[in-house]
Amino acid sequence: MKKTTKFNKSTYASITLVALLTGMLMVFQFRATSSIARGIPTDRVQELTIEKKQVERDLANLVEEADDLAAKLEEAGKGRTEAAVVLESELTKVKLYAGLTQMVGPGVEVVLDNPPGATGHGSSPGLFNVRDEDLLKVINDLRGAGAEVIAVNDQRILATSEVRLAGNHININLARLSPPYKIHAIGNAGVLKSSLEIRGGLVEYLSANGIIINVQTSDSIIVPAYTGGLRFDYSKHALR
Amino acid sequence: MKGYQWALVFVGLVLGLMLAFQFRVTTEIKAAEPVQRAQILTAEVSQLKENRDAMQAQVDSLRSSLDLISAGPRDAELKEELDRARILAGVTELYGPGVEVTLNDSNITIKPGENPNLYVLHDEDVLRVLNELRAAGAEALSINGQRILANTELRCTGPTIVVNKNKRLAPPYVITAIGNPDTLESSLKMKGGVAETLQFWGIQVVVKKAPQVTIPAYSGGLKYEYAIIG
Repeated sequence: MKKTTKFNKSTYASITLVALLTGMLMVFQFRATSSIARGIPTDRVQELTIEKKQVERDLANLVEEADDLAAKLEEAGKGRTEAAVVLESELTKVKLYAGLTQMVGPGVEVVLDNPPGATGHGSSPGLFNVRDEDLLKVINDLRGAGAEVIAVNDQRILATSEVRLAGNHININLARLSPPYKIHAIGNAGVLKSSLEIRGGLVEYLSANGIIINVQTSDSIIVPAYTGGLRFDYSKHALR
Repeated sequence: MKGYQWALVFVGLVLGLMLAFQFRVTTEIKAAEPVQRAQILTAEVSQLKENRDAMQAQVDSLRSSLDLISAGPRDAELKEELDRARILAGVTELYGPGVEVTLNDSNITIKPGENPNLYVLHDEDVLRVLNELRAAGAEALSINGQRILANTELRCTGPTIVVNKNKRLAPPYVITAIGNPDTLESSLKMKGGVAETLQFWGIQVVVKKAPQVTIPAYSGGLKYEYAIIG
């Protein structure tokens, strides 16, 4: 009887030790496993790298803008004549991004036209004509491929430009355009062209619908300025 | 051997296996470099974004001090022109009456065999809503706090939409527009209009008129790399 008690004590001790060890192992194991789950999926790396590059570009542009503005402010401090010159040059710069200046550069010319013989598709002539949605998609794809400035039949695309079907015409900036629609876009010509001509892209889709679409690259695409009136009745600047 | 000895052998075996497993998992974590890379990148990106926002604030304040300088006789004329150009260029924060349009994915329960893609918002749908608002005279537009510029694209990438090259937006999409609230609202709600078409697929379109909405400035620098004054 005495022997059994002594033996039991050492058993209990060793079992306690083992249980402790096991418990600690499990805790450690659990923490390691959950930290894996919390980690960022590896496919995010590409996304993050691209985002970083874009933010860096934004930052560099902002630094440049701040330097330019600071220099202008200093110049403006010298006197009224200088101040007028400074405001003038700031206006020129903002107009550039507002779409109020004619631009030139490398890019593409995309020509879209209705299918030949409007009755070619049977009973519903005009069903497969170029629609506003088609133009919107082409413009959106060009923007996505980095187009900096765009015009359709010499109507500059502004931040407020609509593309709307009105009968057989398409209205842009309230101007009535008729086919063929010539889209001019300035940017990396190769990228712009391939963004449309990619397999399963818009060129394939639109030509399958019978629409005639042709993309040409050029070293000197001219995108004219917006020439219509500017009226802002509702918008007010917040920084006043 | 006695019973308790067998038990000890068993426990020893289990412990050994656990140790081995533990060791392997820990090495695996160390080897998972992409995870580390992503973590470093995330930290870098958020740091860069902070810097960018600080720079943006500085540019904004420089712009408003530029507005305070007086430029003699042509002052008023120049500043008015500058204000109009700034609205179009999207470089300043704006406020005014307008609408808030909320778009959300379909709430229809999809029957088996149906194409779920039909009931999800696409970039095209958002493009059409923006286009209608523009046609109704919207003066400035933003989506989920991102200013819409002349060269802003909308791209579907999985369940999200990317605008302004790297700004990733998730539904619900809230489009804010400044303009005549009644005109803007009716352009979307008219019979056979965009809202009706989208509602057919169960996509939720909510148009809310507001006496004052705010549209943020474009966050990021503006620069043309290819286009020059012609």
